[in-house]
Amino acid sequence: MKTIERGLRAGVMALALSGAVFSAAPALAAGKMTISSPQDPGSWDPIDTFLVAWAAVSTNIFDGLTYRGPDMKLVPALAESWEELDEGKRIRFKLRQNVSFHNGEPFNAAAVKYTFDRLLGEEGSKGPQRSNYIAIESVEVIDDYTVDIKLSTPDPVLLTKLAGYGAMIVPPKYIEEHGEDHFNLNPVGTGAFKFVSYEPKVGIKLEANSEYWGGAPKLSELDFRFIAEPATAVAELQAGRVDLVIPPIIPIGMIPVIEGDDNLEIVSVPGPTVDSLRFNTRDGITADPKVRKAIIMAVDRKTIVESILAGQGAEIATFQSALSFGYDPDLAPLPFDPEGAKTLLQEAGVKEGAQLQIDIRGNDATMNEVAQIVSSYLSMVGLTATIKPYETNVLLNDIIPQGKTGAMFQQKWGGWTFDYDNTAYSMYHSGEKWNPYEKDEKLDKLLESQRPLTDRAEREKILREIGAYVADRALELPLYNSNAIYGVSKRVKGFVAAPDNRLKLTDVTVE
Amino acid sequence: MTGFLIKRLLQAIFVVIAITLIVSSAIRLTGDPAMMMFQGGGSMTEDDLARIRAALGTDKPFIVQYLAFLKGLVTLDFGRSFVGGTQVSTLIGNALPATLLLAFISMAVSIVLSIPLGIKAATARGKGADQLIRILSLVGLSFPNFWLAIMLVLLFSITLGWLPPSGMSGMASYVMPAVTMGVILTATNVRLVRSSMLETLQSQYIMVARAKGLSENKVLYKHALRNCAIPLITYFGLQFGGLLGGIVVIERVFNWPGMGTLAFDAVASRDYPVLQAVITVLSLMIVGINLLVDIAYGFVDPRIRTE
Repeated sequence: MKTIERGLRAGVMALALSGAVFSAAPALAAGKMTISSPQDPGSWDPIDTFLVAWAAVSTNIFDGLTYRGPDMKLVPALAESWEELDEGKRIRFKLRQNVSFHNGEPFNAAAVKYTFDRLLGEEGSKGPQRSNYIAIESVEVIDDYTVDIKLSTPDPVLLTKLAGYGAMIVPPKYIEEHGEDHFNLNPVGTGAFKFVSYEPKVGIKLEANSEYWGGAPKLSELDFRFIAEPATAVAELQAGRVDLVIPPIIPIGMIPVIEGDDNLEIVSVPGPTVDSLRFNTRDGITADPKVRKAIIMAVDRKTIVESILAGQGAEIATFQSALSFGYDPDLAPLPFDPEGAKTLLQEAGVKEGAQLQIDIRGNDATMNEVAQIVSSYLSMVGLTATIKPYETNVLLNDIIPQGKTGAMFQQKWGGWTFDYDNTAYSMYHSGEKWNPYEKDEKLDKLLESQRPLTDRAEREKILREIGAYVADRALELPLYNSNAIYGVSKRVKGFVAAPDNRLKLTDVTVE
Repeated sequence: MTGFLIKRLLQAIFVVIAITLIVSSAIRLTGDPAMMMFQGGGSMTEDDLARIRAALGTDKPFIVQYLAFLKGLVTLDFGRSFVGGTQVSTLIGNALPATLLLAFISMAVSIVLSIPLGIKAATARGKGADQLIRILSLVGLSFPNFWLAIMLVLLFSITLGWLPPSGMSGMASYVMPAVTMGVILTATNVRLVRSSMLETLQSQYIMVARAKGLSENKVLYKHALRNCAIPLITYFGLQFGGLLGGIVVIERVFNWPGMGTLAFDAVASRDYPVLQAVITVLSLMIVGINLLVDIAYGFVDPRIRTE
């Protein structure tokens, strides 16, 4: 009996093994994956846009000196190593050798210099990327595979910034020969996939770069399709014509549809996106910190995350996610305490039925629901809130910068560097576009003091101090950090969701 | 006749200028494209914004920008998209055929459906078939087209798996968008065919045709339909213009790479050159169709010419 069982088991094993061999062979040779991306960036040149939808595709085409994968750790990429010289004012990079661009052009120190000269020069000044790399004074070629990046002031976030967007290394000869316009539409990099074709508003196709320095990708083709409508993207996934839907597109309400389909699954990770309702700290009842604290205490944020976000998010104490540099796990948000809120409101002399307005993005389905819940929580402590939905761009580029908001207004933020400085400086430093109300010298000094520090521990300490200070002054009602939600077909294997949407699909296979 | 033509042409030019002026100035009332580019990018200074505005040309006074646009219109150079810098003419060149083709097919679907149905309703006036067709047409008029689109996708793409849910790739991808548009148009057209058929059927020559002993089909399709074709063709022609505008929503749902998608994205990202060009091209077409209809009438009917 035992022997028969053993024999059977061996037979099954052999079958399974042979099956694995058979199925593995074609997967290595071929495999096309179709991905739905919400937006067409219009140009593939790294210095032209600042769109997540650009990065989702281009991470596969281009490489930077450094690389930050889904685990958020900074690792060497086109630079094999680096060292800080001159007290952080000079970083020396040793470059990877025997790497070439997709057109055959060699990658070397000259390409690095060209990339940054272009970014910081005339061409870069037309785009939004330059301001991120403004700390770079010059790039000096030491030898073919050594470059120095000279900084005017130390920039502690620079190595992270080198891993994405404007710092992607571009091919000098190719751009000089074919011109900027051609490069925009026919990108060439050193990445794991080569550009094949681009149709505006339709999609972009890539193929495997078998010579890739990091090892040839397992897939042979990537087909990115631009689909802006959530229902359409999900329908394509259900119909099996798309293998992966990348965020931000799948609304919370559609998660059950995907989970209910045997061929599909939801993969989600905490992302960089945070939402808060900021206060008008200059006028009206919310000029009083007591009232602001009362409003925070009146709202049960935990319940909002559990019910409206269906658990696809986490409560926050400051305007940053847990992944952000400067996040303080020990800083707890103000507790949900309606009675305490009522007491504070009484102390502040706010009368029963006082009015306030909440400005939100009208097309943000989740926020529309959240704002209604917030308004009902506020009514329980005697405040009457009205919700005013705006078109996103009007709210962002007109209402907030001009200081024409109601007592509370939605701010959504998702800095790709995952560094609290990026968020905090824009939100709280006086004179910044999206800070129409706060003018606080102490806060300004704190924000400025951490910028040039290369000592990570010291900078983190100050960033945490900023977080605690802002929480204490109750400048906003921190709501939640929402997850990056991917819809994935089960035929996709080896997929690792990236918090920042920058997916390098080298290790993914399809069945 | 020449005076009439010149008058009509001048009117058309005036309409196009008025439309572009309204659209160009209205889109500039909200949002700044330079700021749009920085979203998620961290802090930006007034200097950064000024640089971008200068590169986009939005730092110049509105009238200068508008005149540059008009000049571009004459030389057929619409400039470059603010998003990515592609030539606007390239984008329009890709999108316009996609939209026109979809519009033509939708019209064809609607004509093929509405003529026999309308005739049936007219001949069976007051009877069951007429009632049913009229109720269906009312239902068709009442529900929103995007809802119909979503229902079709649910049935034919997800449940049955017969048709692709979106995109423009191959014959099959035309079916659902064209049917959605076609059905909505049919709801109106059926009523039109029915009423003009009813009118025609009361004419004496129909009675004569019947008295001659012609088959009912011959009477209806050869004699009656021909006579009520003129107002129908006019109406269908004008409807085509309206269709181009109504196609925006359908394109969005079916992810159709046409003028609607282009306009939608352009509004969302405050892409002035693209939006201006899309609106101009669409309004030129609508004005053009109207102009042709006017001129055709002028030729046919001297009373209109001398008015």
